[in-house]
Amino acid sequence: MANALATRKRTIILLALTSIILITLDLQNSSVVSGLRSLFGTVFHPIESVARVVTRPIGNTWHGIADYNNVIDENALLKQRIAQQEGATIAAAASVRLSQELLALNGLPTLAGINTVTAQVIGDSPSNFSQTIEINQGSKSGIRVGMPVLNAAGLIGKITKTFADRSVVMLITDPDFALSVKVVNSPQKVTTTTIARVNPATTSPVIPVDPITSVPDAATTTTTTTTTTIAGFTPSVTTLPSTPTGVSSITIPFASELAVRETGVIEGRGPSRQPTVRFIDNSLRFGEIEAGAPIVTAGGSRSLAPPDILIGKVSRVIERLGSAGPVLEIELVADLSNLSFLRVLLYQPITEKTTP
Amino acid sequence: MNRLILIIASRWSRLVLVLFLVLSLQTTVFADLRPFGIAAQVVLLFVVCAGVSFGVSVGAVVGLIAGLMYDFVLTTPIGLGSLALGLTGATAGLLIYFYPNPTWWMQVVAVAAVSALGEIYFPLAQSMVGLDGWLQFRLLKVIAIVVVVNVVLAPGVLFISRWTLSERKNPI
Repeated sequence: MANALATRKRTIILLALTSIILITLDLQNSSVVSGLRSLFGTVFHPIESVARVVTRPIGNTWHGIADYNNVIDENALLKQRIAQQEGATIAAAASVRLSQELLALNGLPTLAGINTVTAQVIGDSPSNFSQTIEINQGSKSGIRVGMPVLNAAGLIGKITKTFADRSVVMLITDPDFALSVKVVNSPQKVTTTTIARVNPATTSPVIPVDPITSVPDAATTTTTTTTTTIAGFTPSVTTLPSTPTGVSSITIPFASELAVRETGVIEGRGPSRQPTVRFIDNSLRFGEIEAGAPIVTAGGSRSLAPPDILIGKVSRVIERLGSAGPVLEIELVADLSNLSFLRVLLYQPITEKTTP
Repeated sequence: MNRLILIIASRWSRLVLVLFLVLSLQTTVFADLRPFGIAAQVVLLFVVCAGVSFGVSVGAVVGLIAGLMYDFVLTTPIGLGSLALGLTGATAGLLIYFYPNPTWWMQVVAVAAVSALGEIYFPLAQSMVGLDGWLQFRLLKVIAIVVVVNVVLAPGVLFISRWTLSERKNPI
């Protein structure tokens, strides 16, 4: 009896020491630990798949009981939103296409040039202390650790583990998540006055205009345009070539009217709190950040995500004393509680790419 | 050969096989059914039940093994869950240490109390290796739901843990 107790004590000590050694090795990204994890994943995956199939009816029953009313409400809301969005989508698609063409023309990177893999969410995190999901695409599809993951709305996280045919995605809300971002500070409401010779017969539309007060004159038209800025978009008034004399008039916005961008780092704070952006420079040029300013990925040679992927908008600005810049609370555009189909951008920064 | 059969027939081999099943339930059905957004922790419950039924030593060993297996499916550093669940199992085993023949309600109370402690150990262990940010008010909600679910499931899991870890007659 005493012998068995001594053996058990030795076992406990051995296991505890093994745990501590494994923690140390794993925190230093040891390949041995990664190999062990991968091996366990290979052994465990078939068992998990069988359990998933067997327990699916239980899950369906539960969701049928618990979420039925929510689904009905959500369905009605979504139908309403689809109707609202249909018109806007066409206009937005045209703008995006134009923007991509301009970026390509100037040799700037665009999302259109990056291959993607569509994946389905197959599981949530089993723990209450990590914000991860599992998707059904892995290294066989070209997915690597660090690649950004998006849904239809915007960025939702990044790949943290890959297996042959599945991957683990760390969501933006996980406290371990950090990514460099840009805050696009909207300029103030501007009033542009454009005086141009216009032939009334060939007047081109002026976009965006709200409202237009046009006083026709025999030879000269004075147009006063009050431009209500859309967050994240640079206001500019462009009059297309229309004068019979062949003189075109293009109004180029002043530098002060352009949207100002500042970089910071977005960090998750758990599922019950909004992520924050820190390290924003408190510069005069950047001005005051207002709620509603969009947050997009910063990009760069070391960033894991390409530039200009939408993440969310500023919901609250927390000012800090001294020279420390403000902390921004971010309302994500993606609904992380309801993820189904996702896109993994097969993007690796230049610094991570291995030369053949 | 006889030694190999003894090892295969031992309760520890049985434990690993049962833990595979428990872990598969944890990563599938219990990760999916989230009452109030919180995942029930059936691996934790199994460890607590083992500790409550067999004492400190068995509870600690079961916790360390179950935690190690759980670590392999989580994204947190391997060994962290092992230490947290090992400590949880040992804590649960204190019931037998103080009350060698506990009544059923003592076991239920112990399951509830140690489940709550187990849910605190894990974020504490995370904080110790620099993965902080989980010790927030949400933890109270997590504890409340995990405790309620564990108390409901405790009778069944107590039975399974006893069946798994009971010493059998020598097969040879």
